[in-house]
Amino acid sequence: MAEYQNIFTRVQVRGPAYPGIPLPAGDDPRVIKPFFNYLAGWLGEPQIGPLYVGRLGLLSFAFFFVAFEIVGLNMLASVNWNWLQFWRSLPWLALEPPAPAYGLHIPPLNEGGWWLIAGFFLTASVLTWWLRVYRRAVQLGLGTHAAWAFASAIFLFLSIGFIRPVLMGHWSESVPFGIFPHLDWTSAFSIRYGNLYYNPFHMLSIAFLYGSAVLFAMHGGTVLAVSRFGGEREVEQILDRGTAYERGALLWRWCMGFNATAESIHRWAWWFAVLVTLTGGIGILLTGTVVDNWYLWGAKHGIVPVWPNVFPPVPDPAAL
Amino acid sequence: MALLSFEKKYRVRGGTLIGGDLFDFWVGPFFVGFFGVTAALFAVLGTALIFYAAVQNGDYNVWRINIAPPDISYGLKFAPLALGGYWQLITICAIGAFVSWALRQVEICRKLGIGYHVPFAFSFAIFAYVALVVIRPVLLGAWGFGFPYGILSHLDWVSNTGYQFLHFHYNPAHMLGVTFFFTNALALALHGSLILSAANPGKGEPVKLAEHEGVFFRDIVGYSVGTLGIHRVGVFLAVSAAFWSAVCIVLSGPFWTRGWPEWWGWWYNLPIWG
Amino acid sequence: MSNFNFKLFYLPVPVRIAAVLAAVVGVGLLFTLEAPPVDVVQRGFRGLGLFQNYHPATFAKTVAENQPIAAIGSPLMVGGPAGKVYKNVQVLKDVPVAEFTRLMASITTWVAPEQGCTYCHVDTSNLASDDLYTKRVSRRMIQMVLDINTNYKTHVAASGPTGATGVTCYTCHRGNPVPKNIWFTEPKGPAHALGNTSGRNLPSRAAGLTSLETDPFTPYFLGADDIRITPSTALPEGTSTASFKATYWTYGVMMYMSEALGVNCTYCHNTRQFSDWSQSSPQRATAWYGIRMVRHLNNDYLVPLQSTFPPNRLGPTGDSPKIACATCHNGVYKPLFGANMVQTYPELTK
Repeated sequence: MAEYQNIFTRVQVRGPAYPGIPLPAGDDPRVIKPFFNYLAGWLGEPQIGPLYVGRLGLLSFAFFFVAFEIVGLNMLASVNWNWLQFWRSLPWLALEPPAPAYGLHIPPLNEGGWWLIAGFFLTASVLTWWLRVYRRAVQLGLGTHAAWAFASAIFLFLSIGFIRPVLMGHWSESVPFGIFPHLDWTSAFSIRYGNLYYNPFHMLSIAFLYGSAVLFAMHGGTVLAVSRFGGEREVEQILDRGTAYERGALLWRWCMGFNATAESIHRWAWWFAVLVTLTGGIGILLTGTVVDNWYLWGAKHGIVPVWPNVFPPVPDPAAL
Repeated sequence: MALLSFEKKYRVRGGTLIGGDLFDFWVGPFFVGFFGVTAALFAVLGTALIFYAAVQNGDYNVWRINIAPPDISYGLKFAPLALGGYWQLITICAIGAFVSWALRQVEICRKLGIGYHVPFAFSFAIFAYVALVVIRPVLLGAWGFGFPYGILSHLDWVSNTGYQFLHFHYNPAHMLGVTFFFTNALALALHGSLILSAANPGKGEPVKLAEHEGVFFRDIVGYSVGTLGIHRVGVFLAVSAAFWSAVCIVLSGPFWTRGWPEWWGWWYNLPIWG
Repeated sequence: MSNFNFKLFYLPVPVRIAAVLAAVVGVGLLFTLEAPPVDVVQRGFRGLGLFQNYHPATFAKTVAENQPIAAIGSPLMVGGPAGKVYKNVQVLKDVPVAEFTRLMASITTWVAPEQGCTYCHVDTSNLASDDLYTKRVSRRMIQMVLDINTNYKTHVAASGPTGATGVTCYTCHRGNPVPKNIWFTEPKGPAHALGNTSGRNLPSRAAGLTSLETDPFTPYFLGADDIRITPSTALPEGTSTASFKATYWTYGVMMYMSEALGVNCTYCHNTRQFSDWSQSSPQRATAWYGIRMVRHLNNDYLVPLQSTFPPNRLGPTGDSPKIACATCHNGVYKPLFGANMVQTYPELTK
């Protein structure tokens, strides 16, 4: 009855650490002497490190550090440099974008200037990290798919923090750096622009987000289920399909009448994940620029459900 | 025929949970089995009821369809068809179809001699649905707490239900659920990218295998979870997203009636702050 | 120990870690959450999620804390007008003296039950003296009560089967010389080179412990900032000139109002379109008048008392104590659950 379902690795083998394939000339040496971790090995590879840093990595980290410090010090200053209050209030603290009055001008440091600088460095960090992802793929002789998927996420990031504020003419439209405050921004954004649930690109983005969870559950589940036949060796399965992927394919064919292949499932995966942020970014860019009130946009196009009111009609007292 | 070139050798008898050989056959590409029959019955009946209820409402616009649960005054009893009864029947059909589907996946897994990870993961999605339309309504004492079946109307429900707790984003389980969803999409993008980039390295480059895959991520972030591990990570992230989503809505109402921001008072008022 | 096989210890390390984590989280949740059952009021078409949720134990506490105080006897409309009998009576002059005395006794139980008459009157042999600031404030407050009960029926008596509900001193004071839920304008922090919070981004008790405004009162309950921020056209036609950040302020003050009334957003709004009056409940209009009433009372009654109050009654910026929704409502959708207290004090409604 009891069958081994390959949920975690029961026997961990320890050989010498793998230093990684040789890097092409001109690359820096890798850092961090590889070591093994039992918990990591329980889930996947036990080896941690080495890491390739390189100039782009160093630059990206430096940019991120500056942004992180600006945000952190502003938060600490907002509780009068009191560390205890800092930890107590941390989820509530934030660094705010400039006030609406500043439009797209550069405000004084404490009026949103810090926010612009932090945003600049964070963006610089993200973009150098993108270059690094691209560069690493090229140096290893891999395709650049990861970089382009990452670019889709950066598109959403820039849409929220840069492109849309510029289109609207106000830095103040953008998100504060902070835990609860960025959640306040999210709700305020929906309220100010008349209910984001009625934004069709928001609908699409969520559909792809949920779809991504469904896909990863389906794909991950399938590969684990056929791991006793070597299903996790996916590139081999692409080149020379074995019984693992035949069984995986038939599971879905018999279940829902349709199946992907070892390669196409990863194309499905890539597109679903990429479309989450791509459609999300489009939804953001249309909000306030092209559509001001999404609910009323929905009403205009006849998609708003109608139901009986239980209360007598209430006139707007301001109009009386 | 609907047979793939390699399919014939896998189409063997056995592996069913119920019914022995009685339903052990295929229709086109579909495996039937006992649960295929029940899934089809529930699905056809449920879909027909959705159409019929929509027609009864008299609005044929697909976006505006709204099949609402009963008033909460009906408690956990059956309501008249037009007053939420359709919703109740459709819910029964949906759960029946989903559970049949999961059990059918189990039968197919048995037939193919593979693990049960897919139906296990699917059961989390079913759990999330059941949490919304059964567990939470039962805890609150009325079917009227379920969400209405309609493309836009269910979004209106989400909006109102969220604002019953003033600011739903402060719900800690919602935070976890959203984080798992986003992380899942990130991991899916990374995994899909990695396999595609190894199999499609560009003109003139040889196809790469697991060594390169692992090195790519070790070079970038210092760790690669590996070919098997990423699928465990994927299933974990996906089921966690569904699980915490279910938790976040079951907590809202039965276990918390005020604004979610207020819940964080326990942290803010810890005695350690002096 | 050796023959006691406790299986937990044979679980893999990660499972043990997960078990401990689950236990800690589970126990934590027990302390921070509430247990079912829940009392729910449906306030809209079915399946819309328009519900008010109350936890019975918490609600029982709220009920206990919001009981009206028993009236002293019943109206005694006998005797000459108070203004003729007593010296220095400036309001309620025409009230028959017996009723006037009854009202004075009642005010003592409503406002200063422990301090007694001498909280406002220098001593019982010199009732006419205006020497104490409390007496001068009280007179203004009585005028305020009369103003509310006669001119704000849109708010204090807009609904309810008993008709006019009205307010008395007790509605706010609840036996305290200074009502519990008053507010002061928040002082501006010292100017630093960094750490500007923009009036939010700190734990805000006023805004339901969100990171929204820490002072959502001043712009709306003293000033007359526009709460409305949603455009009334689908496409950008300039129907809302409110800045994006104005939304935070609106959300902050709405959070305050919800907490002040012990209700959620759906008490007044169908949240799919907050701004749409045709989908709102009648209570939204009541609240609309309430905001105007509070604004008026603060500006015409409380702010001018600034010079009357001693410094220890003033706020950090030297401003008068001010009122908002919670001052009367105290966490309940109708103050004292709609108890009609003025019925037995008809002089307060004229």
